[in-house]
Amino acid sequence: MASFRLQIITPDRIFYDDEAERLIVRTTDGEMGVLARHENFAGALPSGPVRIMKDGKYRVAALSSGVLKVSADKTTIIAEAVEWADEIDIEWANRSAEEAREKIQKKESDKELLYAELKLKRALNRINVHSGNYK
Amino acid sequence: MASANMKDIKRRIKSVKSTMQITKAMELVASSKLRKAREKADSAKRFFDALYDTMWEITAENSTFDSIYFSGREVKTVLYVVIAGDRGLAGGYNSNVLKLAQKRIDEASEKCETAVIPIGRKAVEYFTKRGYRVVARYENIAENIRMNSAKEIASKIMAAFKNGNADRVEVIFTDYVSPLLQEAKFKSVIPLEKPAEEAKKKNVQTSYEPSPEQLFDIIMPQYIAGVIYGSVSDAFASEQASRRIAMENATDNATEMIDNLSLLYNRARQATITQEITEIVSGANSQE
Repeated sequence: MASFRLQIITPDRIFYDDEAERLIVRTTDGEMGVLARHENFAGALPSGPVRIMKDGKYRVAALSSGVLKVSADKTTIIAEAVEWADEIDIEWANRSAEEAREKIQKKESDKELLYAELKLKRALNRINVHSGNYK
Repeated sequence: MASANMKDIKRRIKSVKSTMQITKAMELVASSKLRKAREKADSAKRFFDALYDTMWEITAENSTFDSIYFSGREVKTVLYVVIAGDRGLAGGYNSNVLKLAQKRIDEASEKCETAVIPIGRKAVEYFTKRGYRVVARYENIAENIRMNSAKEIASKIMAAFKNGNADRVEVIFTDYVSPLLQEAKFKSVIPLEKPAEEAKKKNVQTSYEPSPEQLFDIIMPQYIAGVIYGSVSDAFASEQASRRIAMENATDNATEMIDNLSLLYNRARQATITQEITEIVSGANSQE
């Protein structure tokens, strides 16, 4: 299967820098797959799972908001945070989800509510990815 | 008398020694923090460069796209984000960056209004004391800067830009060049600095999701957070490097002072002994 160059960069590390055969991400408009020779594309990525196929096998990671850029020579994802399923600190994610739920209950201000919702989405995404829901 | 002089010198040696222990300890702490800070600054730089390149690629590929973030608008107010340290004793680190900030602000205030977001206790103190318009202030965030705090600062900047409270945004920080060289610098955040080689408008068909305009509204806060994150990481590495050198020099100076004082002490000791011998000899002579 034809492969393409994929780079995933976060503030604290280069998460992925290798060939990949298939990439599935969630954009603002829904799920999207990237194969080799994909058309040029630029899009925003909200929190969601990232599936990367290499040597015929999928690996799943949790992504927290980023940008996807597909060009002829390479595909780049720049994200705030990305973790492989087995790297996720599940206790921390659970706690984070709990905190976010409490905040949503309180409804202090619109801004707070928005932040809490985003936080909950990030946490739920991590929990989902960790539990292998996207395998 | 000589013995009183000796006691005096001894006391000074002791005091210099205890100062030296402190400066030595600070030097060690700074160099271990520097190692960590440099790694962080390096990866932050890679992240930021990738983000920056991607943004320019997106604009270069869309011939009709023009954004207020790129072309700028009429400037009534300039917002300065000034990054200094939380602590002193770092050589010229704080004063250099604050001096540059003051210069930029003085120049700008001839033509328009200015406002400041100070980051780091030294910057906060400087600007609040002098009565500048402070939009927001942040202390003790530099050492363990997280994307979350960078995002919060970015949202303040975006809000100021959208409300018309800032038409230009500039960040003033210290760039880490090498362990021996750190430079106070400024960087334009809005409008975006153009890359060194102007990317030509390429004739490539690119699809966007959502529309380019919406995409930019989403990316822009991330980009600004990236700028803040990168600059703060860089500045923190510079602070540590600067402190390490300052403390190294202080330790060296203390060693030199101790050497000189020991010499003085030994001379005084010799003088006392010589004097005692002379006294004994002359006493014995007068007995004969």
